Amino acid sequence: MSDPVSLTTDRPGQVASTTPPAPGRSRHLSDRWLAVLFISPALLLLLAMSVFPLLWALYLSFTDYSATRGGPATFVWFGNYTAILASAQVHLRALTTLIYVVGAVALQTVLGFSIAYLISRRTHGRGLLTTLFLVPMMLSPVVVGLFWRFMLDAQFGVINSMLGSLGLGQVEWLTRQQTALFSLIVVDTWQWTPFIMLIALAGLTAVPKYLYEAASIDRASEWFRFRTITLPLVWPLLLIAVLFRAIEAFRLFDLVYILTSGGPGVSTETLSFHVYKVAFLGFNTGTASAYGILMVLIVIVLTQLYLRYLNKLKED
Amino acid sequence: MAVSVDEAVATGPARDRTPSARRLGGRGRSVLEVVLLTVLAVVMLFPVLWMIETSIKENRDVYAIPAKFFNFTVTMDHFKDVFVAPGGGRSALSVAFLNSVLVAGVSTALATVLGVPAAWAYSRFSVKAKKDQLFFILSTRFMPPVVVVIPIFLMYRQVGLIDSKLGLILIYAAFNVPFTIWMMKGFVDEVPAEYEDAAMLDGYTRMQAFWRFTLPLLLPGIAATAVFALIFSWNEFVFAIFLTSSDGVRTAPPAIAGLIGGTTVDWGLVAAASLVFALPVLIFAYLVRKHLVAGVTLGAVRR
Amino acid sequence: MRYPKRIGRLSVPRRTAHLATAALLVAAMAACGQDDGANSSAPKAPATIPELTKDPLTLSFIWFDWPPAHALETFANAEYTKERPNVTIKVNTVPNANWHDAMFTQFAAHKTDFDIPVLDSQHIGEAVTNGNILDITDFVKKNIDVKAYNPYLLAAYGQFPQAETGKRDENASLYGLPLLGDTWTMIYRKDLIGDTPPKTWDEMISVAEKCQADNPGVSGLAFHQANGSDAAAVTYNTVNGLYGGNLWDAKARKIEGVINDAAGQEAMDILVNKMKPLTAKGSGNWFIDEVNAAVAQGKACIAFNWIAASGALLDPKQSTLGSTKEEILDKLGFAPLPSQKTNLVPLGGMGMHVSAYSSKEKQAEALNFMKWFEQADIQKKWAAAGGVPARTDALESPEFLNAGPFNKVYTESVPRMRDMWNVPEYARLIDIENTNVNAALNGAKAPKDALNDIAKEQQSVLDSSGRKGGGGL
Repeated sequence: MSDPVSLTTDRPGQVASTTPPAPGRSRHLSDRWLAVLFISPALLLLLAMSVFPLLWALYLSFTDYSATRGGPATFVWFGNYTAILASAQVHLRALTTLIYVVGAVALQTVLGFSIAYLISRRTHGRGLLTTLFLVPMMLSPVVVGLFWRFMLDAQFGVINSMLGSLGLGQVEWLTRQQTALFSLIVVDTWQWTPFIMLIALAGLTAVPKYLYEAASIDRASEWFRFRTITLPLVWPLLLIAVLFRAIEAFRLFDLVYILTSGGPGVSTETLSFHVYKVAFLGFNTGTASAYGILMVLIVIVLTQLYLRYLNKLKED
Repeated sequence: MAVSVDEAVATGPARDRTPSARRLGGRGRSVLEVVLLTVLAVVMLFPVLWMIETSIKENRDVYAIPAKFFNFTVTMDHFKDVFVAPGGGRSALSVAFLNSVLVAGVSTALATVLGVPAAWAYSRFSVKAKKDQLFFILSTRFMPPVVVVIPIFLMYRQVGLIDSKLGLILIYAAFNVPFTIWMMKGFVDEVPAEYEDAAMLDGYTRMQAFWRFTLPLLLPGIAATAVFALIFSWNEFVFAIFLTSSDGVRTAPPAIAGLIGGTTVDWGLVAAASLVFALPVLIFAYLVRKHLVAGVTLGAVRR
Repeated sequence: MRYPKRIGRLSVPRRTAHLATAALLVAAMAACGQDDGANSSAPKAPATIPELTKDPLTLSFIWFDWPPAHALETFANAEYTKERPNVTIKVNTVPNANWHDAMFTQFAAHKTDFDIPVLDSQHIGEAVTNGNILDITDFVKKNIDVKAYNPYLLAAYGQFPQAETGKRDENASLYGLPLLGDTWTMIYRKDLIGDTPPKTWDEMISVAEKCQADNPGVSGLAFHQANGSDAAAVTYNTVNGLYGGNLWDAKARKIEGVINDAAGQEAMDILVNKMKPLTAKGSGNWFIDEVNAAVAQGKACIAFNWIAASGALLDPKQSTLGSTKEEILDKLGFAPLPSQKTNLVPLGGMGMHVSAYSSKEKQAEALNFMKWFEQADIQKKWAAAGGVPARTDALESPEFLNAGPFNKVYTESVPRMRDMWNVPEYARLIDIENTNVNAALNGAKAPKDALNDIAKEQQSVLDSSGRKGGGGL
């Protein structure tokens, strides 16, 4: 992921070449057509299903179009964009999303890495342990959301029942401002800690043994070895895992939809959830499109900055 | 790719006992680590265990406070309800499961058929602005689905694909093609181009060389890639809930979500349906465990 | 990565590709612009039912997933086919949370896989304004015996512009006919608070308070508080009505200063400071299911729920109150809501409407079904099958009154009903109210601020027609 992600939509996927023609014309002609033949169907599908909708959304984002009201769309140019950027409602959702993304990703990184580290130090049963830990990640967000909603229910949920057995009081997991966002973070962490764990484990098991052995001869302390050998080798992988998780968490919709539907009030409404409301409650398609385009832009810009940082880190 | 990891996750040979364990006090620490790991495993797996328990409890016990962990009557009724409608005949859920099989299966096949040749072409030929193209392709995967669903919806209503399985198949295929290309390009890169060159010297065309020599070597990679595409399509919820509405088209995730919000929630049924729904994914994931790291990072991190 | 440069080279003429792409985009966008000149008034249904087909035909409904939807499918397939053997009835169901979206996304697509959408009364404005459902005024005049109904029930499920309470406007157009009537019932524990239900809302609160104090582990109250659908909003609207408040001034299109007047503030105060403390901890996301579960588990003294959703309470398999229906009924009582300054109760239930995008053949069949459904004997059969009819004769028939312990409650509540706004902006208005009431109930907002925010935000939705950009935020 060291290259810049380009999302220029104006000339997607042209297949062309600048290298001068090489000898052996007939064979190369067939190669060329083969490449076109092989690449273009995939690109055409992407053009139709990803690029075209995005361009369309871009066009709509400058209008006041509504998918239900009909009537011609009138251009409001940057009216939607300025309204979104100035809206206190949007700022509130942005803050919620930020807390959620940072909280969830930080928690699962720490937990995921710890589990991976512990597993990597075992000699037996690593395969089984890894497989077991991976189960949550494979479940559909719908299943995860529904079931955690059941477990976190203040009255009938198993979590409060266990707290009760321990003599602790009931916690309103999903209906208080702070706890609801916290619950969202916990559930996301439960589901995605395995992801970080998996990737960290890949890095940890790849640390060449002789490095440790050399360090062991030097009688280096455990912590010193961890800091100077293990971490530097795993760090780049971990950063990529964090990038993937952050992008995914930023897009989060289904878990909110099922677990809290944004409540209490709007305190767990993420940006994605807010876009949904704008798009489908009032069918303000133009505004929703602008909102979506802004979200895509944020992902691109932040990813670019992050990758640049990552590259710099690698060079050092 | 920039990062490469040499050893597989779960399949690598066990490492020698770490030096620390040999030291004084190493044993105590080792015990502590095992305890910690066990605790973490229990915490992570508890919801799944609870789901299994709930699916075999009678509804009366599901709500019991304090929660019943062991002393309840076991019933298989919920699993029956997943497949059989109350009045007999097929349940709406089982129809949704079949729809899921069809939609996930066909969209995966489509993504594979489109993606594998493209990946091969990207790997073998020099294509103008290849890196840009590849990253552009990947970036389409990072758009928030709720954002994509709006223009897709407008487009589908124009061509009459709303509330149709074909519509879902196409959008899932479009979401899986970038993944397939990225994943498969890595696998193709691992197959030396010299095989094809040699075959072509023997008089085969490049197409034949691909078909007869490279493709067979790619099959395990294709299988792994397809499984990941399948898991994505199988679990997907956002497009499914916004683009479909009728029982005959609905896939399993919205159908399971629809189990709540009536007049009573049958959590036993929710749990049973969730388990039945999750089982194929878990089996598939186990089958492709060697490729999990590449799979979950869209091929960005390879072993 | 491998770059066998010496082999592959590609050069599709670049300009051509550019042009082709551009042409494709322009053509597609132009195509998408075309249908947008949709007429913004509803098309008219014929006054007389056109000739019906003899070929096999499936008549599709769309509703949300709950027992009445399944009851309707069974009932219609058993009874309607006696008259029209070539017709099959299919009731498509979607999750409640997705109900509005599922119908209106299809309306937006100008192509529906249903012929009879079951709209909530408040959805009518949005559907009529966008021309999604047929104007059946002439059809009703010619085919339906309007005198057989409480005029308000006809208005509630069909008239636009709406009649919030009371009389039907004879000059307004009709767009639907009643399918399932509904309102809230008070569910009370006879074994805990006695056989006589409280008469006023204040009395109800103090009875609940005492019951909660006397019975540890049982909450005084259980009602809808969730922020989805119309849950928390209906709760506030009910209390608002009972304490003499108004949701809006329909003629002046004014909400600011109306909903948050003194009566409105008092209602919010009662709801948050008097009623909420009597509910179970963590009940702030409860809707129909959770209230039912609390009652069935014996965890509430007094609860409020929609009548159409109360059947599940009598199911011994889901209940800890008794092992037979009779045992459960020894403990559970059903009564109309107590009154306070007024006796208003929330209008629930839904009407049948005809999709404007259905084929002519199916629209004719839909009209025929509606005519058939609104006959006196069919309404009684519908009542016996678990439905809630609308015709006065059916409502007063023993078939209905004996079909469920809460049916009497409905019949008594009919003259007391009040609805919300059914303007096209309904979905946004309800969301504003839901989220704010839910926030107030869960301590995320001060009650007064929540109410003032509702007034301000709803007013701005009503006033936003002339705005440039950013609508819907």
